[in-house]
Amino acid sequence: MKFSFKGGIHPLKEMHEGKGASRHQPIRDLVPETVSIPMDMHIGAPSAPCVQKGDRVLLGQVIATPVGGIGIPVHASVSGEVTGIEVRQLLNKQPSTCINITNDKLDEWAPLHPLGGVETAPADRIIQQVKDAGICGMGGACFPTHIKMSPPADKPVDTVILNGAECETFLTADHQLLLEQPGLVVDGLRAIMRGMGVTRGIIAIEDNKMDAVKAVREAAQGREGVSVAVLRTKYPQGGEKQLIEAITKRQVPSGGLPCDVGVAVFNVGTAAAVAEAVSLGKPLISRVTTVTGAVNKPSNLRLRIGTSFQAAIDEAGGTSEEPGKVFAGGSMTGIAAPNTGVSVTKANNGVVVLGQKDAVTPEPTPCIRCGRCVSACPAKLNPQRLKELCDMGNLAGAKKEHVMECIICASCSYVCPAKLELSPTFKEAKEKITARRI
Amino acid sequence: MPITPIALAAGVLGGLGVLFGLLLTFASKTFAVPVDERFVLVREAVAGANCGACGYPGCDSYAQAVVKGEAAIDLCTPGGKKTLDALAQIMGQEAKETAVQVARVLCQGETGVVKPRYEYTGPKTCHTAVGLAGGPSMCRWGCVGYGDCVRVCRFNAMKIENGIVVIDEDACTACGLCVKECPRSVIKLLPKAARVTVRCQNAATPREARDACTKACIACKRCEKACQFDAIHVVNNCAIIDPAKCTLCGECVKVCPTKCIEQLA
Repeated sequence: MKFSFKGGIHPLKEMHEGKGASRHQPIRDLVPETVSIPMDMHIGAPSAPCVQKGDRVLLGQVIATPVGGIGIPVHASVSGEVTGIEVRQLLNKQPSTCINITNDKLDEWAPLHPLGGVETAPADRIIQQVKDAGICGMGGACFPTHIKMSPPADKPVDTVILNGAECETFLTADHQLLLEQPGLVVDGLRAIMRGMGVTRGIIAIEDNKMDAVKAVREAAQGREGVSVAVLRTKYPQGGEKQLIEAITKRQVPSGGLPCDVGVAVFNVGTAAAVAEAVSLGKPLISRVTTVTGAVNKPSNLRLRIGTSFQAAIDEAGGTSEEPGKVFAGGSMTGIAAPNTGVSVTKANNGVVVLGQKDAVTPEPTPCIRCGRCVSACPAKLNPQRLKELCDMGNLAGAKKEHVMECIICASCSYVCPAKLELSPTFKEAKEKITARRI
Repeated sequence: MPITPIALAAGVLGGLGVLFGLLLTFASKTFAVPVDERFVLVREAVAGANCGACGYPGCDSYAQAVVKGEAAIDLCTPGGKKTLDALAQIMGQEAKETAVQVARVLCQGETGVVKPRYEYTGPKTCHTAVGLAGGPSMCRWGCVGYGDCVRVCRFNAMKIENGIVVIDEDACTACGLCVKECPRSVIKLLPKAARVTVRCQNAATPREARDACTKACIACKRCEKACQFDAIHVVNNCAIIDPAKCTLCGECVKVCPTKCIEQLA
């Protein structure tokens, strides 16, 4: 049986969700000349740098310590000399402090502290190990993983889902990771399950990646409590709430979290990082990222955190036409980068280059009330009505119509024949409602 | 056609009309809720824009609060002196003279003055533009120029000109809606009499400010030295004028190398 949810769309169906170019491209390592590592990649207060200009740092050495309750440390992703600590404008709203390191290409590791095999490591120390490794959600939100692994005591979690749906257009990084290292992902799932004391683990994969399903099924043979769920290919199948509903038939309540229905969802990349942190003691210093679109050699690259987009694009053969927009992430939920000098962060699962003719923003025309957005909305909202309310400035009314449930998947904007800017409006409304406490 | 059915229908309907009319009259007299007659007067005296500047949801709520004595009478800024005098008379209070305020834009970053960071093609609202990598211009403190404030202004006092918002001082009632809306807080309510203003509020280092914008305050402190009245000070890399001390002599305007201090006519 293939799991799915109600609503959703099939973006770029005629071109295989844009994934054709980079699909099955083996993961290549990119060793950058320099890295510029931002301090506020994760949700929570930015970490505080604990190295100085001129210091020599080793690969995996802690270069910034966590600040506040949900902070995580940041590690050096290359060995070499710290050439500067500067404030740079990245994708975020506010500029971020970045630590620049020149790579001496020696890849000299700082001392590692593995906990032991994922099945034998002491379960009570796994969460601390995950925190020390600086792991955060690598699917895009970058929420610190150790917080997700410690749900409140009154909300026990009975199921862990690994999100390998990768419904986002253009991206193939998780697919390739599942194909090349299925064992590592399953190990990571087991480590998370043991750390959280959960007995049921599900790896969810869309049915456009049946080869990955096969590989993971083989790797999961004989592993306690691990199963594979095949999902129908549909966007946004990888949305947390949609995924939970599709697999467990439980609905996350309005304004609630997955732990309210006893589920915790992690990205497959996060699981692989957890496995490496537990069994090898390696912190999170690199991630698999798809570099595709208008590049000469679309690839899946293992990028060190802090590599510049430009270096990644150069490794993928350079741009094949004059770029119009460069997205961090896929084309549906990705954020347009201000320039190609920005750094790859822990949450950055894709670098998608669009040519100038593809990057045109169409001129919106009046709504014709066709209702396509209503049937496409995976959160079961009425985007047309919400847009009306937001345009009138009636944020209280929009909140009453549940704009806060919007996951900003842009399905409505995609199907809208009038090319209305629906999802950016909702994003703005959500931010304003949160900021003004309406 | 015989006249009887028409007369009958007209008679019945007319009779019903009279009957219900009498009923309603009776009901309105018997069940009338006593309304403070001052409420009607106050409601007529306030500006009636429902702008919310007073802090109440609308003019009705404010009028009620005034009548009950819960609200001060000088909160209706759009009504200005006229409303204040009227309310003072109705409520039997003394009208205290308050400084007339006006919204001012603390930025001169027109197109061409401030350097762009990237070409922005998204939805044309300041809020969204600011959320994308710190905004489309190099300055993180200046006006974005997509007119979120213009859309909330109830008094037609704002327009976008040359990539920056321009406020019509005569039309502005200092209701403060634009101040709340601006994601950069670049609009401030200042006394109308304060004719000398520093039209910049960047907190960047002088070098960064200079790189970003030709009319930025570069914290050179020449205005501070020129001022004989201790009215202007550089705080956090930007000059600030204390309207209480400023005598509008215009010495600071003359020495400012970037022309970020402006003297209005």
